Amino acid sequence: MKTAPALAHIRTALAAAAALTAYGALADPYLLRLATEILLVGTAVMSLNLVTGQGGLVSLCHGSLFGGAAYAAAMLAQQTGANLAATLAIGIAAGACLAFLVALVSLRSNGLFFLVVTLVAGQLLWEVVFHWREATGGADGLRGFTSAAGRPWWSQPVWLYAWSAAWACASLMLLRRYLRRPAGIALQALRDQPLRMQALGYSASRIRIGAFALSGAIAGGAGALYPFLNLYISPQAVHWSFSATLLIMGVIGGIKTLHGAFAGAAIYLLIQTYLSSYTDRWQLLIGLLFVVTVLFMPDGVARGLRRRGGP
Amino acid sequence: MSYYLLQALNALSFSVLLLLTGLGLTLVLSLMNFINLAHGSFFLLGGYIATQWLASGAPWWLAFPCAFVLTGLIGLLLDRFPFGQFYARTHLMQVLLTYGLAIIFADLMRWGFSADTLTPPLPEILRGGVWIAGLPFPTYRLLIIAAGIALALALWLILDRSLWGAALRACVSDRDIAETLGLNARRIFTIGMAVAAGLSGLGGALGAGMLSVHPGLDEEVLLLALLVVVIGGLGSVKSVIVSALILGFVDTFSRVWLPSFSSAVTLGAMLLILVARPQGLLQAQARTV
Amino acid sequence: MVMIPSFSVSRRRLLAAAAALPVAAHAPSVLAQNGPLKIALLTSLSGPFASLGESMRMGLQLFLEQNQYEMGGRKVELLVEDDHGKPDEALRKVRKLISRDRIDVLCGVISANIALAIRDVVADAELLTFISNAAANDLARGAASPYIFRPTKTSWMLGHTGALWVHGHIAASGGITLGSDYAAGREYIGDFIHTFEAQGGSVGQSIWTPLGTADFAPIIMNLAAAQPRFIYCFLAGADAVRFLQQMKDYKMHGKVPVIGPGALFDQEDVIPAAGDASMGGISSFHQSPGAPAAADFVRAYQAARGRLPGEASTSGYATGQVIKAGVDAVQGDIGNKAVFKDYLLGNAVGTAFGPMHFDPRNNQAILDIYINEVRPGPDGKPFNTVIHTYERVRDPGPKA
Repeated sequence: MKTAPALAHIRTALAAAAALTAYGALADPYLLRLATEILLVGTAVMSLNLVTGQGGLVSLCHGSLFGGAAYAAAMLAQQTGANLAATLAIGIAAGACLAFLVALVSLRSNGLFFLVVTLVAGQLLWEVVFHWREATGGADGLRGFTSAAGRPWWSQPVWLYAWSAAWACASLMLLRRYLRRPAGIALQALRDQPLRMQALGYSASRIRIGAFALSGAIAGGAGALYPFLNLYISPQAVHWSFSATLLIMGVIGGIKTLHGAFAGAAIYLLIQTYLSSYTDRWQLLIGLLFVVTVLFMPDGVARGLRRRGGP
Repeated sequence: MSYYLLQALNALSFSVLLLLTGLGLTLVLSLMNFINLAHGSFFLLGGYIATQWLASGAPWWLAFPCAFVLTGLIGLLLDRFPFGQFYARTHLMQVLLTYGLAIIFADLMRWGFSADTLTPPLPEILRGGVWIAGLPFPTYRLLIIAAGIALALALWLILDRSLWGAALRACVSDRDIAETLGLNARRIFTIGMAVAAGLSGLGGALGAGMLSVHPGLDEEVLLLALLVVVIGGLGSVKSVIVSALILGFVDTFSRVWLPSFSSAVTLGAMLLILVARPQGLLQAQARTV
Repeated sequence: MVMIPSFSVSRRRLLAAAAALPVAAHAPSVLAQNGPLKIALLTSLSGPFASLGESMRMGLQLFLEQNQYEMGGRKVELLVEDDHGKPDEALRKVRKLISRDRIDVLCGVISANIALAIRDVVADAELLTFISNAAANDLARGAASPYIFRPTKTSWMLGHTGALWVHGHIAASGGITLGSDYAAGREYIGDFIHTFEAQGGSVGQSIWTPLGTADFAPIIMNLAAAQPRFIYCFLAGADAVRFLQQMKDYKMHGKVPVIGPGALFDQEDVIPAAGDASMGGISSFHQSPGAPAAADFVRAYQAARGRLPGEASTSGYATGQVIKAGVDAVQGDIGNKAVFKDYLLGNAVGTAFGPMHFDPRNNQAILDIYINEVRPGPDGKPFNTVIHTYERVRDPGPKA
């Protein structure tokens, strides 16, 4: 009975790939950029889902991981010109390193304390970025970092969209596989039965560090592409409120799923962008959306819809 | 010498302000295990109520009880719906619910009170200063220190030392057993929530004279309160008092000596505390799984 | 409490109003000239600068109402977009306005980082843009663009004139600077110190405080101990209110002259909340409710909103004045950007700030900078009174 679910997965994967390609071919630059932003932020949310949904650790530092990688990529481009491979590499490395540091600092913390440790750690990075004006541009943000070699070909809307979609899909597949392997299963087990896992001899520290580093690497890769969307990056991307937004997107989409991350990101970004054109009270409506989601679709949109549509 | 004494008094007044921001959250988070991210909204609402009251010409000392009662009432209503069902839910769900409510309240308050920064017109008696060791110290800050200490003592007595506090903590630890012992958990939670909301509002009313109310204050206060309460450790009022004192002093003296880096220093201190004591400064007695 | 009338006109209502107006019914053709002129205002209606953003919107709406929403013979459709105080959101909005709404003119922008963020996008799209409020020096220097006009001041203009005034009238040494530690604060204080030292003066300590400081007491106590001859201070919004209040609480009010860029004593944003704590404050600013050029606007604004205007509302109004001057010059044919730009670069526009020339090198406004002192006004309340005017102050511009 392995073939039926495998076939279903392949079909969904092909359908998704077809849809993404069609969108890329037909959409105009504005829509492409919008989709790129959803894909990149959605990937960050997905990395958060790994740690929070699968790992059971509510983290408020993923925005800083994403933003930190973004700054690293932008600053590298400023020094050496924008090379796609190098950009991705430094983003992944920065994300993984920062995540590793946060994991180290938070090893013994759980629950609410873990939340606060990650928040404080992320804010420390924000302080560095905000005050180190010479390197990061400070409050004004960093722009013009590609002026040395001219704008890279891969930052044009179509190409950036393609690379973002590729990274998103690759990350999704990687995470799916990870969750089926011993390390990933151990992570979920650690979430559900920490004492039993300890009794069985698993090292909680190693599992957490591994999951965090993987999460950071994925968020970092997405973060590296982010500054090239607008050729601008601001400290807002490293602030804890951005991490909170990622968490909100994750819960809207379904924190325990992986693909729900993109749904959550899309819903939040679209509402934020379009609703405020029509009314001053758009924040009221977003708040109502959260409350309604929590009351009626606590597993998020992805699962909620499936429940309504399924048996 | 007197300079350091005064700076210590400044630190104390800031610590008490932190304590005031955290009192309501302590009750609800530390003791009822309910993450209330709308706490900042109660604080801000209390501030707006006090500002309106003081501007209206009514007896000034009634501003504070008025803020307490009105925000307490709102806490009561929220406990009816929707908080009541969420005491037993996961923290993440509580976060989303209360965060959504916080956004709604923030927008309603911006709509009703405008986006401007407002300061409460304090009565003459509170506006002056006293001379301590040759340097001026505002009367209002003395009031805040006194009020904060009194509230903290009262809360400590009630929650850590009285039977009602024990009953509350029992209901949180194991609701079913507590109910078999005859405690009305539902009513205890309702009272707890209302008092917590009222305390937040009262904190806001007192803090308004120092902080000035404006949209965005709710987020600032929420962050501060969350940090103070969690770093102190959960489960008692004593822990938040200790935490507020330490953080208040660290923050003030880093402003005195390293004003540019004061935020970073305070954050660094918080991180160090949490790494050294992962369950907060005064770790909770009960073991949680 | 004054009930502020809700000016939250939604875009839907504006579209409906525009549709109801008698617009000449031409078939959709290449000549968009007969359709309404689309002006978009990008402002902060939420986030830390919400009060400034709302004031800016009110100022612009007041101007448009006074002109029956008409410029150069065409009807004007105003789209208001909220950037939430975040550059990422602002970028999304601007792209939407350009590609989907096909606006003709973009104006607004409260904060410097948003102005810098959108600079490349609007320059690439060759969209006529008017930065109404953001003061970043860079926009007049490295980041200038022929399509971006700035009908307001640069940080340099305020820091520079402040230094001239302090050096000439208060003290040449023994002062202390205090600023919010972010880009704007660094610019204002840096420019102040630069000019002050160029005049032969010397500045003592520079104190920096994080943005969003709740308690200034430790700093004020240090100031009291240091007994400076003056304090040059850049703080804005709630920080400014708290600082002034706490100075008064600690009996420092009136002991030391406090000077700053106008944001510290903004008539609309700070003075109503700070009250008497702001008396005696001196600021260098391109806006003053007491300026002769602003008299009509101040009267109209007071009648409409019940309070005196500050920088943000005046900047909204002035932006409207500048855009109208340009649109009138091209008789509504906004596609004729060359003539539009040449007109603004070659002629002075009368605005509520004062006479406004534009520097052809960087499209930066050349403005009269007022030295304001907060004195009791006709009703006894604090009022920014002009005590000196530096005329036609021009930013040094590129290669500065």
